[in-house]
Amino acid sequence: MMKSTLLLLLVFLLSGSMAWAQTTTSGKITDSKSGAAISNASVIVKGTSSGTSTGQDGSFRIDIPSGGATLVISSLGYTSKEVSASGTTTNVTLDASGTKNLDEVVVVGFGTRIKKDLTGNIAKVKGSDVQNMPVTNLNQALQGRAAGVFVEANSGKVGEGVKVLIRGSGSISASNSPLYVIDGIPISNNSYSGSPISDINFNDVESFDILKDASAAAIYGSRAANGVVLITTKKGRSGKTNFQVNSQYGVNKPTHYRGFLNAPEYVALLREAAINSDNLDGIDPLDPAQYPDSWLEFAEGRLDRYSGWSDWRTNQTNTNWEKKAFDPDAMTSALDISASGGTDRTKYYLSLSYLNQDGILIGNRLKRLSSRINLEQAVSDKFKIGLNMSLSQTSAGRVQVDNEFATPMQIVALSPVTPFYDQDGNLSTLPVTTYNNPYIDYAEGKFKAVIYRNIGNIFGQYNFSRSLSFRTEFGVDIQNQNDDQFYGPNTTYGTGSNGYGESDWFRGLTYNTNNYFTFKKNFSQKHDLEAVAGMSFQDYNSEFANVYGEQFPNQQLQKLASAGLIKGGTSRESNSTFLSYFARANYKFNNRYLVTLSGRVDGSSVFGNDNRYGFFPAASLGWIVSEENFMQGQKLLSFLKLRGSWGLTGNADGFGDFASRGLWGGVAYNGTGGLASTQLANPDLKWEKSNQLDFGIDFGFFNNRISGEIDVYKRKTEDLIYSVPVPGNTGYSNKLVNLGAMENKGLEIVLNSDNVSTRNFKWSSNLNLAFNKNKITKLDGDQTLIAGNDGRYLNSLIVGESIGVFYGPKFAGADPANGDALYYLQDGKTTTNDYNAAGNFIVGNPNPKLIAGFGNSFSYKGFELNVLFQGVFGNQIQNGAGGFMSASFDWFDNQTRDQLDRWQKPGDITQVPQLRLGGGNGISASSRYVEDGDYVRLKSVTLAYNFPASLIRRAKLTSAKFYVTGVNLLTFTDYKGWDPEVNTDYRAGNRNQGSDFYAAPQIKNFSVGLNLGF
Amino acid sequence: MKKLSIYIISAALLVTGCSKKLDVQPTQSVDEEFVFTSDANIKAALNGTYDVVSGASLLGGDVQMYSELLGAGDEITWVGTFNQPDEIYRKEILTNNSFISDTYLQGYRAINICNNILANINTVNPADRDRVKGQALFLRGLVYFELVELFAKPYSAGNVGTNPGLQIILTPTVNGEVTAANRVARSSVQDTYAQVVADLVAAKPIIGGEVGEYGSEYAVSAILSRVYLQMGNYAGARDEANNVIENSGAELETDYAKVFNNTSASKEDIYVLPVTAQDGSNDLQVYFSITDYGARDGDIEINEDHIDLYDASDARGALFYLDGSDIYRSGKWKFQYRFLPVVRLGEMYLTRAEANFRLGTSIGATPAQDMLAIRSRAGLGAVATNLANIRYERRLELAHEGQRIQDIKRFQESIDGFSYDANELVFPIPLREINAGGGVLTQNPGY
Repeated sequence: MMKSTLLLLLVFLLSGSMAWAQTTTSGKITDSKSGAAISNASVIVKGTSSGTSTGQDGSFRIDIPSGGATLVISSLGYTSKEVSASGTTTNVTLDASGTKNLDEVVVVGFGTRIKKDLTGNIAKVKGSDVQNMPVTNLNQALQGRAAGVFVEANSGKVGEGVKVLIRGSGSISASNSPLYVIDGIPISNNSYSGSPISDINFNDVESFDILKDASAAAIYGSRAANGVVLITTKKGRSGKTNFQVNSQYGVNKPTHYRGFLNAPEYVALLREAAINSDNLDGIDPLDPAQYPDSWLEFAEGRLDRYSGWSDWRTNQTNTNWEKKAFDPDAMTSALDISASGGTDRTKYYLSLSYLNQDGILIGNRLKRLSSRINLEQAVSDKFKIGLNMSLSQTSAGRVQVDNEFATPMQIVALSPVTPFYDQDGNLSTLPVTTYNNPYIDYAEGKFKAVIYRNIGNIFGQYNFSRSLSFRTEFGVDIQNQNDDQFYGPNTTYGTGSNGYGESDWFRGLTYNTNNYFTFKKNFSQKHDLEAVAGMSFQDYNSEFANVYGEQFPNQQLQKLASAGLIKGGTSRESNSTFLSYFARANYKFNNRYLVTLSGRVDGSSVFGNDNRYGFFPAASLGWIVSEENFMQGQKLLSFLKLRGSWGLTGNADGFGDFASRGLWGGVAYNGTGGLASTQLANPDLKWEKSNQLDFGIDFGFFNNRISGEIDVYKRKTEDLIYSVPVPGNTGYSNKLVNLGAMENKGLEIVLNSDNVSTRNFKWSSNLNLAFNKNKITKLDGDQTLIAGNDGRYLNSLIVGESIGVFYGPKFAGADPANGDALYYLQDGKTTTNDYNAAGNFIVGNPNPKLIAGFGNSFSYKGFELNVLFQGVFGNQIQNGAGGFMSASFDWFDNQTRDQLDRWQKPGDITQVPQLRLGGGNGISASSRYVEDGDYVRLKSVTLAYNFPASLIRRAKLTSAKFYVTGVNLLTFTDYKGWDPEVNTDYRAGNRNQGSDFYAAPQIKNFSVGLNLGF
Repeated sequence: MKKLSIYIISAALLVTGCSKKLDVQPTQSVDEEFVFTSDANIKAALNGTYDVVSGASLLGGDVQMYSELLGAGDEITWVGTFNQPDEIYRKEILTNNSFISDTYLQGYRAINICNNILANINTVNPADRDRVKGQALFLRGLVYFELVELFAKPYSAGNVGTNPGLQIILTPTVNGEVTAANRVARSSVQDTYAQVVADLVAAKPIIGGEVGEYGSEYAVSAILSRVYLQMGNYAGARDEANNVIENSGAELETDYAKVFNNTSASKEDIYVLPVTAQDGSNDLQVYFSITDYGARDGDIEINEDHIDLYDASDARGALFYLDGSDIYRSGKWKFQYRFLPVVRLGEMYLTRAEANFRLGTSIGATPAQDMLAIRSRAGLGAVATNLANIRYERRLELAHEGQRIQDIKRFQESIDGFSYDANELVFPIPLREINAGGGVLTQNPGY
């Protein structure tokens, strides 16, 4: 395999030495009306891949065959033009089109298309739209910008998981994440900790092209069931070197504080809860004779303990622990430098970027240093080679997952009567604190991850003729990660063992090769054919090793070399491969009838021999109605295209490398190795398959001043791989089977409008709306309901309902008579105080019905203002920690402020049952802890000032911009928790959505920056 | 010509057979077919069964903790945040209690491995075949016994022919197939005990070995003595206990404290689980001890009501210690990474004493002699030999070792207001089993 690639390259190199007679033409591209120079216009010699773009002054220079050639000139906002060039000078004027998007080049798998000619649905986000947005993960930058692309950060922890769903959830057990492809090479979406997407510097990105429907995505076959995000990085253009420097600084705050009881409230309510519990036992604890052994005595004993040196009776201490979870000085700083330019033959883009973002949580931060070299060299007219390479170092301060005592947010459970410091100035600790104090874990512990990542590819492209070319790409994605943890003797993990240390090493190696032919030809003016055929192979290998130990001599010696006791260690490896063959043909007749056919055969090592290969075809049709004669002569509708597509994609990711086998793994007993069963076999396991039908209309009114797209789609996933519970008496709990089915139906609307376009003032708007309805249509064939009530969460799988709906008891408030928590019986009317007797209902749905983005751009002279609102509607959130923090004082955890509305006396009507210490009054999972999660957020707002040209020239600059920008500045929601954009990290999954559990609120950022070009 | 060669090479590249590259083998696991092809692998699977049985969900602490929580009375209090043990402590158990379903799953996991070993026993070298078979039978019998004690009404409740016991599975699961054998109704309590006895009786003469971390003739006898006690077969219990005392070579530690917190088997251990920093679990330590000793947050507190049971000079009472908040803690489960005795010689003396007393016999020794052996080790003198005193002695000697609810049930006492045969003192069959059971698995009364 490798050998033949090398051979091929050699052949190319030899052939490249052949000379072709050619000449050079140069000229200037200008606006036909104003005569202004058009910079960055693309100039391509038709039928070849050779091209250039114009400089700041609109000038270009390009080699053409000596016999003359046709140049295709295009630029955003202008109608493309073909001109024949034979002489040395070719000046061209372009007409403003107003069509903006329609001539935009869209990246598709293994090629590009003009947006106008697309038959599939691809959402494009320009890199410049998200440039310098102060977030660490490119998905967060995309949030709200593309219709049907749902982005949700698990919490406000930096560098951690961000869920991306394109057109809803497609799977129960396999991955729901899209495939990410950078410059043609699929990258790894695995890591040991943190989000692997955070390693990517998106300031280097020219465009994100999100393949949403099956026709667009099917060229990625089995990898594409959840859509594909094609990331194209910036390339150089011939012309003088253009330097860009950007510097930015900002502050980070939480979007919201939840608010907990203060010390007087805590004492009052806790005592009330204890007295209530005593009264239920028939004891009056206020009677000194009955006080001993009462709940009240117990509670007051705990208050004595929790208040440490201070006196809770006189409210001596009133600690706001919630504030202590957050870093008051959290900031973001960034510096980006890039240089791009080139000659006719060589083009380059270089960048160096540094980002330092503190999370809002204590101990949470991310620093990323990244560099990129993109280089392209035309060896000859026929042959070009190139390189796109990035190297990054991400260094993250991590915090524990949300269900660990040591995670900063769990600090809210501590009592407000507990002083932050003891009298010696040390942090309060157990037994004065109710639980382990997470602040100690922060102050005396560390959790640092360092990731080196190298994503790159080299390519060679040979043009056999004007019509036929061959491209070979070889890419790697190397991840090298080390997580170092140390927790001192006073911390949660180090207590009792004189400190705990752990070192984890992870290496991911993905290599990938794509080899394909492209054929493009126009026959007798009316027939345009483009065809692609090729193969790709991918090998993913990951290795992991760790070691951990205890008994450290002191706080300073944190490496395992100083551990007195090595407790254990392990090493693991995993490996999977994909082999694929693919082909696609695009045919356009008479510039208005479009057909695309594609097919891909994928083989995966994940499945057994008999089910290894899958075939994934797609077809689509388009009709550009506005090109028809009958549409001419009217001014209203300037563009109209109808399109429809069908395709089949597959999914084999996310359930282990050897899912079909019956496996036994190594275990140890008494210092001797052993074997024990780990996985039940299913030799019949095969691909999940996703069928998608899409109909769309693209339209433009008033010379495309108003344009948009409307799509309806239906995506049916079948043979869903699902881990079906089997009788435990088999010795196993579950078996992976292809049984389920699920569908997503939706409607997407995109509207773009140039509201005002005058010389000085411009205002444009962009609205995207996506309605999606997810429905499980089949589980294992027998069961129609897999209830998920585990006492804390309710995410269930129910046929006919959306994935992960909340299914469980419906809370009926407090019994006005006695304050008992009431639930509805299955009849939905009668109530009971017995949780076990309560009926089960669908009490919420974590899947949004509608997601939306609304952007507005204004420019006035040198000022620019960009405002993006983003919204999520129709979903619910369940607070899994409700049973601790909003629990009618079931235990000593500090309570949320809504508990002040508790039932106190007969006749009280309230949703908060009577406070009962140790009483478990309504604390199990139910609709009590389910709330609407709708929100609208001012996602980003940027106000920029471009310094006047005269000033810039004097400073020998080409551009200078000062800007202020804000992220998540405003959030409108009824959700009472920290932040409605939430899904607690320790259990986040396809089914486990919409749950909150001490998850950090999102980051609100306010930054200023300066951008210079020279 | 050159052009042609490029075409050919490019085309060849596209179809080059990479398909072999799709044959990827796991590196941390082996296919099940491979496990039962060699003597060494089957022996490794046997060691794996010991590992499963010693896991936290089974005898690595949870099963013993369940007994103490069910039989808590006013003597211990669960104060931890985990609601699963709290439900057991309060006897308000939800059918989806994850601790309970883990115990159920791990129990049957061990049973299935045993069934696989027994089905492939002829692959074992003939010289070792009996020993391996005996070990597998011992572990299967042991696990069925632990499960039937938790998930079924006690033998003492009568109706043993009709009260549901466990689903008895004696065939291995292979090729991922869930068969009719997995969809059987629950056997009666009587039949389940009969299976336990059959396995242990069959294991006893062939298992060989010595007392310690693995099963032996004496470990089988010790467990059998417990089984017979539950069944009210006092002669059987007496004879098995006597066999252990007379023949196992184990002897009472002179100092009661030396029975616990050991880093190797004590002289008294009949079957003990090795726990080291690197391997093994001891959930009794995790929940009974405190963070100072690397445990959780002191989830189980010992109350004065229990401490008051001990005579001031009782070495067993002296083993309790006070934590920083003046709460009593069990000294038996104080330190991390210490061996966890499953059954020890002291219990055998008390079992022999009780059975001899009930039967009016003196096999091995008189009940008074056995009682004194236990009491004098604790620094106490003789007491009157009667059933109440023997019962009381068991309560102190075996406190917090996981025998509490079993003794309550067979002595037909009540606890926390619940009769010994109350529904609340029996675990529910886990909800997931009912759901996955295909309708044949019946839930316990009261759930």
